[in-house]
Amino acid sequence: MKQAIYGLIFYIFLMLPPVISISESIMVLHMHMQMPLLVIVGMLFTPYLKEKFPGFFEKWNTNGVPGTLLFFIILIYWMMVPRAMDDAISTLSVEIFKFISLPFLAGVPLRDSWKKLSKRGQSTALISFAIVYGIVSLLYIASPNQLCNNYIVAEQKALGWTSLFTAIGILIYYVQSLFIEEELEE
Amino acid sequence: MMKNKQQVIAIVLVMVFGFILYFVGTDGFKAFTAESARTLQLEQDRPTFPNVILEDSKERMYSFSEFEGKYVMLTFIYTACTDVCPQLEMNLAEVYKQIPDNYIGEEIVFLSISFDPDRDDIEALKKYSHYFNSDEETWRMTRIPDKQELQNLLDSFGVIVIPDNSGNFTHNSAFYLVDPEGKLVEVMDYTKIDEAAKKVNAILNKKVGE
Repeated sequence: MKQAIYGLIFYIFLMLPPVISISESIMVLHMHMQMPLLVIVGMLFTPYLKEKFPGFFEKWNTNGVPGTLLFFIILIYWMMVPRAMDDAISTLSVEIFKFISLPFLAGVPLRDSWKKLSKRGQSTALISFAIVYGIVSLLYIASPNQLCNNYIVAEQKALGWTSLFTAIGILIYYVQSLFIEEELEE
Repeated sequence: MMKNKQQVIAIVLVMVFGFILYFVGTDGFKAFTAESARTLQLEQDRPTFPNVILEDSKERMYSFSEFEGKYVMLTFIYTACTDVCPQLEMNLAEVYKQIPDNYIGEEIVFLSISFDPDRDDIEALKKYSHYFNSDEETWRMTRIPDKQELQNLLDSFGVIVIPDNSGNFTHNSAFYLVDPEGKLVEVMDYTKIDEAAKKVNAILNKKVGE
């Protein structure tokens, strides 16, 4: 319950018009700050939602695969379709869809799915996650054209490089997880 | 077994949702960038060229209705531009050369419109005309002195201009063809010169044939 309240406060904060305008003014902030924060908001809501609708998650996401898949579909849509960000800025309905899809169709299913996934499932998800970031970085670094009408090429390149660092970060996390047992920390 | 079946249904539902999301989000897999979506949308909407006052390199002022009854091929530029605009104008000159002489000026007029009226004064436009060998009559270099009118035009033709900190602009570029009634009919890739010239010639042949 406590998490859900924090999540709600955070959610409302992200929806404030000045916060929106700052977080969307720079491409890197838009993709690598606002969007992940929205996913985290969804994660904070998850325990509360699972308490409210225990049957739903148990029934439809028993092994975590459908939820993980949904997470990736939403993630790839926002990261790899360049016009998604432009559309979010220029069209209100797409912006609303962003604020609903990232928490509830990406954040919630991810947190619900993660513990249900097998060790192999988690590894596959982590590696896919790194691959998505890797492809995004290639897309934005290598493209000679301006892909988003609202952001200049220099910002696009910056986004590409930050994506590459994120991909490398995820890979390092994955590699260390092979050697370090999680149980030891708990 | 029952559980498994439900997982399969869930996965299929998620996939179907994903397909619909990507289909709608990219106009049926046709437009992955906002620029391609914009071109698609413009060709469907066919916005009318707003009646703005243009000022050209010969210091003439007139409204866009000056060109009524003729096709107008136009580009948006600023003369201080060092990368895209010269290429855009060079290619426009190539298209101009490929249009039969008897059409030039009679059936079609070429127009370059500056979106930087502060720096692009008459002098700058004149220089630009000489640079690209335009005759200042059938291919005119113009600017729109009224900022509000300029913005209206850029908005209705979907031209997005972002000033950067060093006095330059990032902007999208294309050839725009406006019909004799002032409606936008084609937005063409400015890098495909022959394709654009072919298209324009076909349209002009049709017009003359009528």
